[in-house]
Amino acid sequence: MTRLTDLPPAQAQRLAELECPDFATHPWVEGPALPQRRVAIVSSAGLVVRGEDPFRGRDADYRAIPAHTKPKDLLISHISINFDRTGFQEDWNVVFPLDRLNELAADGVIGEVAQTHYSFMGATDPVLMEPHARALAGRLKGDRVDTVILPPV
Amino acid sequence: MSALGHYLEEEGLATVAISLIRPQTERSRPPRALWVPFELGRPFGPPSDPAFQKRVILAALQLVERDDGPVIIEDFPDDDPRARPDPDWRPPFDHAAVADRPAETIARELESEIELLRSVLDRWVTQRGYSTVGLSGLSIADCAGLVAGQLRGEALTSSREGFSPPLMLRFAVDDLKAYYLEAGAAGSAKPSSRQLGDWFWNATAAGAALHAIRAACLASSDDRLKLIAGNFMVPAARVLAPG
Repeated sequence: MTRLTDLPPAQAQRLAELECPDFATHPWVEGPALPQRRVAIVSSAGLVVRGEDPFRGRDADYRAIPAHTKPKDLLISHISINFDRTGFQEDWNVVFPLDRLNELAADGVIGEVAQTHYSFMGATDPVLMEPHARALAGRLKGDRVDTVILPPV
Repeated sequence: MSALGHYLEEEGLATVAISLIRPQTERSRPPRALWVPFELGRPFGPPSDPAFQKRVILAALQLVERDDGPVIIEDFPDDDPRARPDPDWRPPFDHAAVADRPAETIARELESEIELLRSVLDRWVTQRGYSTVGLSGLSIADCAGLVAGQLRGEALTSSREGFSPPLMLRFAVDDLKAYYLEAGAAGSAKPSSRQLGDWFWNATAAGAALHAIRAACLASSDDRLKLIAGNFMVPAARVLAPG
């Protein structure tokens, strides 16, 4: 229902042409092989732990999701209604693949999984997110994370 | 996600983004991205398919071991098998709801559907272990009451501190959709999102109510209500053509 090609043409074009920052540099960080990596999820699905402060509009900050969070306690408060939520309702790994990361760590494919994961609300202007993203990098490094997977919604 | 990747990478963290919209990713040129041919809302593909999801996440994570940056965009080759309709799926009911019936009729049907679906949702919770209803903090009956009140032309109120009335309406609508769509998916069949959406928007009083409220709010003089109704109630693909 909500593949980009299934949206009304004007909506699809707007999404495809959404303005994004024009970066002059191309940072590139190398590191050890996957079995030595500590991985965190930083989603842009507007995820929030049940009972905590949901994203109200285009908030530029982020929400923390402790690794011990259960599927029943994770909600989507993203401002957009133009994406499927039924996949997430059935299985949070569709959006927030924490169970898959834990399995990969148990199998030794990756080293470790972070203690805390995070979510932004992806419809926010990325320029406004920048200071929050840079502050988040400090928190991630404090958790010894060296690798981040960034799922949208 | 591409911009976040850029900022985090500048701060010394290796990143890999999942991309659902390839043209956006091509323009923003993140350090690493895996484009996936899935519908919006499903960056890791099919629900309840751990093996498929693991292939997606591995294909993404393996990009951090490559040394041919600083910009890598790869494509995941396989479609989401759950995007196909399930011919065995049947909705909990099919009222062939019509949005232009009297508002009071739709409001009463909505309230009766909520009760009708209660045992179906209980089945879902037994199956899955949880429900994602709960963003508004209201009971589902109160969410339906808020929506029915809008149909009846009642003043919009919020019972939760810090939530403006339009925000409360938005979250109540999100909860109402979650309640119906989870109930619709209860059972052994595996409906596609399109099947569930067709049912919700075309054959339930809740879908009819949201179409009607959207139309009424867009005609109101309250700009916040117009904004909520115009953008956060009926998906663009489900907006009815005028007339």
